[in-house]
Amino acid sequence: MSLTQALATSLSGLTATQTNLAIVAGNVANAQTPGYVTQSAVQVASGSGDFGTGVSIASINRLLDTFVQRQLRAESSGGAYADLRANFYQQLQQIYGQPGSNTSLDAAFNGFTSAVQALSTSPSSSAAQGQTIAAAQALAQQLNGASDTIQTLRSQADQGIAGDVQKANNALQQIASINQQLQGGSATDSSSALLEDQRDQYIDQLAKLMDIRVVQGGNNQVSVFTGTGVQLVGSQAAQLNFNATGSVAATEQWNADPTKSGLGTITLDSPAGGSVDLIASGAIRSGEIAGYLSMRDSVLVQAQGQLDQIAAQMSKALSDTTTAGTAATVATKTGFAADIGSLLNGNTIQVSYTDGSSVQHSITIVRVDDPSALPLPNTATSDPNDTVIGIDFSGGPASVATQLNTALGATGLFFSNPSGTTLDVLNSGPSTITVNSVSTTSTATSLTAGSAALPLFVDGATPFSGAFTAAGSGSIGYAGRIAVNNALAADPTKLITYQTSPQTPAGDATRPNFIYNQLVNASLEYSPAAGIGGVGSRFQGALPTYLSQILSTQSIAANAATNLQAGQDIVVNSLQARFNSTSAVSIDTEMAHLLTLQNTYGANARVMSTVKAMLDVLLQM
Amino acid sequence: MTISGVSSNIAPLIQSALDINKQLDDLQRQLSSGQKSDTYAGLGSQSGIAVSLNAQLSAINSFNDTITNVGTTISLQQVVLQQIASIGGNVQSATTQANFAIDGTGQTTGQKTAQNQLDQILSLLNSQGANGYLFSGSAPNQQSVDTTDHILNGNGAQAGLKQVIAERNQADLGADGLGRLVIPAAVGATLSVSEDAAGSPFGLKLAGVSSTLSGATVTGPSGSPAAISVNLGATNPSNGDSITFTFSLPDGTSQTLRLQATTSAPPGANQFTIGGTPAATAANLQAALTAGVSQIGSTSLSAASAMAASNDFFGDPPQRVSGSPATATALVDGTSANTVIWYTGEDGSGSARSTSTARIDPSTTISYGTRANEQGIRWIVQSIAALAATTYSPSDANAPASYAALNQRVYTALGVPLGVQNITDIGSSLATAQTAMASTKSQHQQTANMLTTMQQSIEGVDTTQVGAQILSLQTSLSASLSTTARLASLNLLNYLSPVTG
Repeated sequence: MSLTQALATSLSGLTATQTNLAIVAGNVANAQTPGYVTQSAVQVASGSGDFGTGVSIASINRLLDTFVQRQLRAESSGGAYADLRANFYQQLQQIYGQPGSNTSLDAAFNGFTSAVQALSTSPSSSAAQGQTIAAAQALAQQLNGASDTIQTLRSQADQGIAGDVQKANNALQQIASINQQLQGGSATDSSSALLEDQRDQYIDQLAKLMDIRVVQGGNNQVSVFTGTGVQLVGSQAAQLNFNATGSVAATEQWNADPTKSGLGTITLDSPAGGSVDLIASGAIRSGEIAGYLSMRDSVLVQAQGQLDQIAAQMSKALSDTTTAGTAATVATKTGFAADIGSLLNGNTIQVSYTDGSSVQHSITIVRVDDPSALPLPNTATSDPNDTVIGIDFSGGPASVATQLNTALGATGLFFSNPSGTTLDVLNSGPSTITVNSVSTTSTATSLTAGSAALPLFVDGATPFSGAFTAAGSGSIGYAGRIAVNNALAADPTKLITYQTSPQTPAGDATRPNFIYNQLVNASLEYSPAAGIGGVGSRFQGALPTYLSQILSTQSIAANAATNLQAGQDIVVNSLQARFNSTSAVSIDTEMAHLLTLQNTYGANARVMSTVKAMLDVLLQM
Repeated sequence: MTISGVSSNIAPLIQSALDINKQLDDLQRQLSSGQKSDTYAGLGSQSGIAVSLNAQLSAINSFNDTITNVGTTISLQQVVLQQIASIGGNVQSATTQANFAIDGTGQTTGQKTAQNQLDQILSLLNSQGANGYLFSGSAPNQQSVDTTDHILNGNGAQAGLKQVIAERNQADLGADGLGRLVIPAAVGATLSVSEDAAGSPFGLKLAGVSSTLSGATVTGPSGSPAAISVNLGATNPSNGDSITFTFSLPDGTSQTLRLQATTSAPPGANQFTIGGTPAATAANLQAALTAGVSQIGSTSLSAASAMAASNDFFGDPPQRVSGSPATATALVDGTSANTVIWYTGEDGSGSARSTSTARIDPSTTISYGTRANEQGIRWIVQSIAALAATTYSPSDANAPASYAALNQRVYTALGVPLGVQNITDIGSSLATAQTAMASTKSQHQQTANMLTTMQQSIEGVDTTQVGAQILSLQTSLSASLSTTARLASLNLLNYLSPVTG
């Protein structure tokens, strides 16, 4: 009978309207819930007899633009990466101080040169001497402080990675567990929609930490991969591992070889077994973790390297003396003789020769006391075009000559130790190669050795000579250790007195003039590893020029990071707005929906009451 | 085109309001600090230029400090040099009115004044500037000169000027007072005079002889040691004939002795009586020569000896008579063990000026060092000291003549003979440095002005511009806030009539 049919149909309408109302209520209630995606009911007509059509709710839909969602995830990785770098760069800027103020790095350097300039005018003035020592100490402390700040930032980055890895693990496990829950449940109800919302939120979290690819599988399952394709989570989560270092020192650097690495690396243990080093394989290219990694292992290491170059080149410019060798002929072999007795660990012998095909070569021979540092790479010196040979001096001059003949015999050079500490660098006979020049560079250890050069700055307690150790060049982290020679601080007259017999007159400006010239005018060479100068060409120039290069390079990098952040913010924000326009709850829409539902409900109820009235009429007949 | 609901537009609006707030904060910081940024990054690509401008400005500041300090020092040096020159001038003019009246100390009022003046000069030479003694070369921590007392009277075993003058006086005069000349008795008609030793720096040196004595043969000075011989021949000279001897004195002056033949007996001063035979005349000539030389010895020679001794004493190293003075034939270097070394500053081989240098510009260095023993200063000191150190005996009849000879020599010396550095030469070389500093300073001024303007344009803020920016930001902030408020009120809820039960 069609009246009951109508009653049943309007009842289905009432039920559907109620479900819709429940959904509207849920949408309105969750309007401010983060990650909540607006739900809507999928309403289908359902035949319930021969005539008339009922209505039923087929499923609950999440209003989601998956294309925008994918874009948003990719860009939010980039956004987090840019945010973090901009933030770190701003903190790094603090070490260079405020432009024009006394606290800036260049002001400390200028203060030192001004003090030396005043000293060269008034060498005997103890006030000027004290002022010079104080200014040198201020400069050393500024470098120490800057170096400490850089290493603190590296520690923060290291701890940031540790925190992020923990967050990532949590997100991976949650995603895996939601995947498992959804596997059993129906795809259509509100609760599964909520689970999907939650899973999306964890994926979003993960996307901020690293760049990921999300693959939607059947059965409401998702798999997450790194940008390079390593699976992070499917039905089971992989485990990320990272060992944080308590406090990071300049000499501790990440290396792909775990035996040489001073810092922790991120490994991924997949549930199926097997382990991948995500840093070494370059799997993390964006997101917060990549930002932390770039700071810890590249940007901050380079900033430290620049300060180290300043500290090292300044120390060496003041303390190193280069002595040319004297021409020597032994039988038919010609070349030069050099005294290697005064070379300290890290000091060098420079040899230049022209081979049979008229090509000029330069060789730098470095004294190395720590055999574990051998062999030295060619990048050990700031000259990118020389061949670097590290030699263990512990066996005495004769052993040095033997080692050199072993290492360089093929070039046609012949080394010998005729007597004492003399090293002969000769060709192997007439019409072979030509030895053009030989010189030695040695670091002064005494304040009164008769030369204007002096160990004004020291590394701990010893004059800085750039000694190599297994950890690498002695200049690594030197900016954090540089200090004014205690012997000089205790007796500032040594800024003037460069020899005691005959005694340097108190008004002699030889040494202050030397210091001033070395600081302001002398052209020094800086290692290209610190990021200033090209790969194949070192930066050459006076210290103030290098300082200015550092500050402008760092400023440009910091600005680039800030600009990238601003640009990325706009992209992420606009994508987020696009995403929200679909997914976020619009109260207006819901209210309008509510009005319609109210009317629909009323109309259904009217149908029912009409049917009831008709039934009543029928029953009263 | 996607049209999204109004409510979803509110979030970006709030974000932009926050951004504007941040910009406003920064602009306020700029206004209050006058600095565009508190990090180098904030200066953008110009940060490298800012660093190099700061370095240049800092260098110019320290150069200007140097110029100011060195300027003060050189002014002090100039004042001292001028005062010393003026004291020299005073002493010189006083010598023209020298009046020989000695008191119980054996010195005249003029000499006592000279000693005061010497005292003043020595204390002027010990003047100190900001960095210590001005006239000690490169040892400004050492006093420049010793005290007047030590210099004149000695210090323990170290001989002072007075002792050096006394020794030299004995050496120049010899035991017999004849200026180390040997004038033996005439042999027949021949008489001779010779120096006592070849190459000796002491005493009178035979420089020449000329004769109008008729019939006489004069030879020399020749030989070693130099000798002059006068052979009167077979006839006596005529009345009024004369012979003139010329002697060189230790201070480089020369003195002539003209002896005239006379018939009167006894002869007058510087005359000799023509005897009965040439041999007798020769004996008379020998006696007159001896008397004349002795007279020169106690007058001109004594004065010249004092001047020479003062030159010896103030020399570097000082020169002392070697061995027993009366028979000495050489000078030796004095040492700090036996002689007061008057100059106590640094005494290296370099020029005095180069002992203090100052860099006043990246490429300009000026030299302004001075030593008290530079010739121009030393010359004045030793001349006045010779006057101040000499004493006379009231019983000495030759003393007034000797004093006059000394005054005349001091007068000449303070006139600064050719070939001797004048103290004003030192002043003018310092003035060159002052001129260089003045022109460099004005260059620095110009450069600094230019650099400061450039620095200001990079690091500083234009308050008008910042003010205008603040104003425009305020406008956009209030616009954005009121838009936000309006949008927020545009909500369907506000337009639905309340649900009635």
